[in-house]
Amino acid sequence: MITTMVGNYPKISPDAKAPSLRTAINRFDEGRISLDDLKRVEDEVTQEVIQDQVDAGLDLVTDGQIRWDDGQTYFARGITGYTINGLIRYFDTNTYYRHPIPEQKLQSNGGISVKDFEFAAANSQRPVKAVITGPYTLARLSQLGCYDDLRSLVMDLAGILNREARALQAAGATVIQLDEPSILKHKDDADLFAEAIECVVDGITATKALCTYFGDASGIHRRLFGLPVDLVGLDFVMGPANFDLVADLPEDKMLGCGIVDARNTRAETAEEIAETIRRLAATVPMDRLHVNPSCGLDFLPRPNARAKLVRLVEGAKLAQGSAS
Amino acid sequence: MSNGLLTTAVGSYPKPDYITRARGRFQRGQIGAEELTELEKQATAHWIDIQERLGMDVVVDGEMYRGDMVAYFAENMSGFTNSGLVRSYGNRYYRKPIATGPVGRDKEVTVDWWRYAQSLTDKPVKGMLTGPYTIVDWSFNEYYPTREAFLMDMARVVHEEAVDLVKAGARYIQIDEPALSVRPEEMEMAAKAFAIVTDGLDAFTITHICYGDFAAVFPHLANFPVDMLDMETTNSGYDFLDLIRGYPSFDKYVSMGVVDVHSHVVESLDKVKSGIRMGLEVLSPDKLFIDPDCGMKTRTEEECVAKLQVISDAVREVKQELGLGLG
Repeated sequence: MITTMVGNYPKISPDAKAPSLRTAINRFDEGRISLDDLKRVEDEVTQEVIQDQVDAGLDLVTDGQIRWDDGQTYFARGITGYTINGLIRYFDTNTYYRHPIPEQKLQSNGGISVKDFEFAAANSQRPVKAVITGPYTLARLSQLGCYDDLRSLVMDLAGILNREARALQAAGATVIQLDEPSILKHKDDADLFAEAIECVVDGITATKALCTYFGDASGIHRRLFGLPVDLVGLDFVMGPANFDLVADLPEDKMLGCGIVDARNTRAETAEEIAETIRRLAATVPMDRLHVNPSCGLDFLPRPNARAKLVRLVEGAKLAQGSAS
Repeated sequence: MSNGLLTTAVGSYPKPDYITRARGRFQRGQIGAEELTELEKQATAHWIDIQERLGMDVVVDGEMYRGDMVAYFAENMSGFTNSGLVRSYGNRYYRKPIATGPVGRDKEVTVDWWRYAQSLTDKPVKGMLTGPYTIVDWSFNEYYPTREAFLMDMARVVHEEAVDLVKAGARYIQIDEPALSVRPEEMEMAAKAFAIVTDGLDAFTITHICYGDFAAVFPHLANFPVDMLDMETTNSGYDFLDLIRGYPSFDKYVSMGVVDVHSHVVESLDKVKSGIRMGLEVLSPDKLFIDPDCGMKTRTEEECVAKLQVISDAVREVKQELGLGLG
């Protein structure tokens, strides 16, 4: 069993001695520090949040997505043809992102996240998972702009993100995760979705994870389980119906288990977490489980996020101990 | 009412630097509550004066004494504690309340401020509350077993505050529900809670909603237990007007945002006038109020006043062109 994170981690720390990204961004916006100065702080904070994950005992970490304003604009800004528009709410969360618009046909402009992945890999004692916002979700959370229909936007993004995945693989990524929360809100698009995912993972030999959150996959779970990926991630907090679906997971697939509520401060006990893992392991053996928070942890204050990871690892140990 | 096209604002105005500094000093224990309150009163009077000079019809107190729209109520009600900082977007952070016990109200929260603001002007001052659904949705919950239980308790508490505002003399009560537009499956529950808030209120009720998928929840909005919908419309390209057009039985009053509150750029007079005319294609002037998209606390005072000025100028010119008179 692997303990891991879904993706992002709170960017600011209440520790007065820690490097402050918030202050650095303000100073950069006011023209008081250079871009290099800002990047140095981003590097320091990235090192700090990787260390938080290592200290908590995670087996597989992420870079915490410290440099991402959000999952959409981080990629859209690196794709030729996109412009960035006004604020819009991100799903049903009280957080916002700027709406990307394709003003002309989108084209790859080379690696978007590769340098950031390389930095994280060089600064982690644990393997680093590369995370890409999937083509369907990126398209759904963009405007259509110059595109006539959703399909052509999704498939153009799929081709561009395939290049991104290949570049990450060439940079040494052994696990590549595609985040696709939007498919849970538009289940009628399962065919288009499957086509897009097949396109993105073409030529990828690294472990391929497909991660969903903010709901359950009922109605499309067999489609998701049948995709050419190695792991399917489900959110068991906001989508309790997912518990009934995992029995259909093929034996050659791993299950990503979002079992700690990443959107509420209430700290689950290690025993609660272990109990949920045992419940899942009754259907899918523990050696095929990745256990993680229900989604990115950036919805929480840093101390709560850190506590969630510590409890997750404790719960996983408890479950493994009782199973052996 | 009047000749229609009344001008108003959504709620917050930018805080002068001396308020920001004083709030910081108060938090560090360097000044007392009385000193802070005096400065907040001074800033409130300043904004009332600006609104009077601009000729706005229905004014707000500008929320000089509030931080975040949810945290302010949580801090002044029982049952909540505050979390550490969480991110809203970009580099903006706030403290999100945590429900750690049953929510309740030991004293009036906003009534003294409403009384003070109303004492400074003959224009009606809106009573400004945050709605129960938004407080619940934008808080962490470590106490209630379900969202519904949290929501219904919260609705009763907000209702008590609304009743006290009306008793004090408020004729307009705005109950903001910006969280409403994102979860269609909870709209019925949200409307049930809102009906508890507005139940029996002898006032014109308004709710402000912004930044969401209005199309998905529009039938619920059209039947929401409130007199007026105050909508963010500019930022979303006036799509809201098409929804009204496609719903012939729509009979709510609408307050329409005609300037973007997240942009430094002050809209041109022509652009704002064209927005107002678009609104008048679907709503009669007596059913249409004109205001900014949302609260303006993230703008500078200069930007804010310039945006309010262009609204005021645009409304005056459109009224003249339509022969509506100047009220």
